[in-house]
Amino acid sequence: MIGSASLVFATLARLADVDAPDPEKTLLDSATSLEKFLAGVERRAFRIAQMAVRDRDDALDIVQGAMLRLARNYGQRPSAEWKPLFYRILYNGIRDCQRRRTVRSRIFGFLPGSFSEDDDVPGDPFERVADPGPDPVRQLMAGEAMQRLEAALARLPTRQQQVFVLRCLEGLDVAETAAAMGCAEGSVKTHYFRALQTLRAKLGEVW
Amino acid sequence: MNTDERWTGTERRSRELFDASVEGLDAETRSRLNRARQAAVAEVERAHRNPWRMWLPAAAAASVALVAVVLWRMPGDGTDPSAHAPEGAPAAEVVEMLATSGDFDVTSEDPGFYTWLADRGLPAANGTG
Repeated sequence: MIGSASLVFATLARLADVDAPDPEKTLLDSATSLEKFLAGVERRAFRIAQMAVRDRDDALDIVQGAMLRLARNYGQRPSAEWKPLFYRILYNGIRDCQRRRTVRSRIFGFLPGSFSEDDDVPGDPFERVADPGPDPVRQLMAGEAMQRLEAALARLPTRQQQVFVLRCLEGLDVAETAAAMGCAEGSVKTHYFRALQTLRAKLGEVW
Repeated sequence: MNTDERWTGTERRSRELFDASVEGLDAETRSRLNRARQAAVAEVERAHRNPWRMWLPAAAAASVALVAVVLWRMPGDGTDPSAHAPEGAPAAEVVEMLATSGDFDVTSEDPGFYTWLADRGLPAANGTG
């Protein structure tokens, strides 16, 4: 009798252990998962933002804001949801930055001697030259090809740009891309098809 | 995502170039991204340790709304004060007139009233009539 009671007690204790996870362990798991996720996307997100706003500091601010917002608002959500959420936040940040610039240029555009975006940067001719690597010629060619791609992307409509970046460059599937862009999967397919056609026409199959 | 064999040359080349540009980021940018990531992870820990902080903006908004409703519903604001005075109490303007006039003499300020008193043969306010 005593033996069976202790067995029941031990089973209940074990069940209680399973049902009540350690909050510190949960926190650690959550923080570790988030750090791993952010480490995997941060550089790519920075390049996406930089391609869209064409400014390094603005791009860094956008990525930093997206990381903080994801952590603050969705850090407790399942990690499988983070990718589309992060890119949605990132594109919201890009859009806000572009709107601020539009407003700023409208306000300061009326003033005589108003500055342009590049005027506040001292003209250092070596600043935009790529760092010399093991194969400078190849790097230079890749850099030029990337510039052509960026220029062609910049001429696409915004939704086509987004869908091409998320689907092709970031490797999101149709459902994730639709979630990140807040549109239907059918729209994703249509935008992607049109973007690809335009880019192929402008750049050639392999440029 | 497209499988590799379904990828066109344009897609493959775009992805290669993009990956190369990501790999070629300078040390300072990488460092700043690293710091931003650490700050974001610290934010998760902070939110986890102080879950009430997540409700702070909502609590502040609710408090402001509550104060606004209380002020709006508070009696006596923008209404006639005499409406809340006890029954039989003098009207506010009468009290004010009595309080402000040290020498209350209607006949000296209103000759018409004095004439009316004389016509009716009533004694004047000073008792001479």
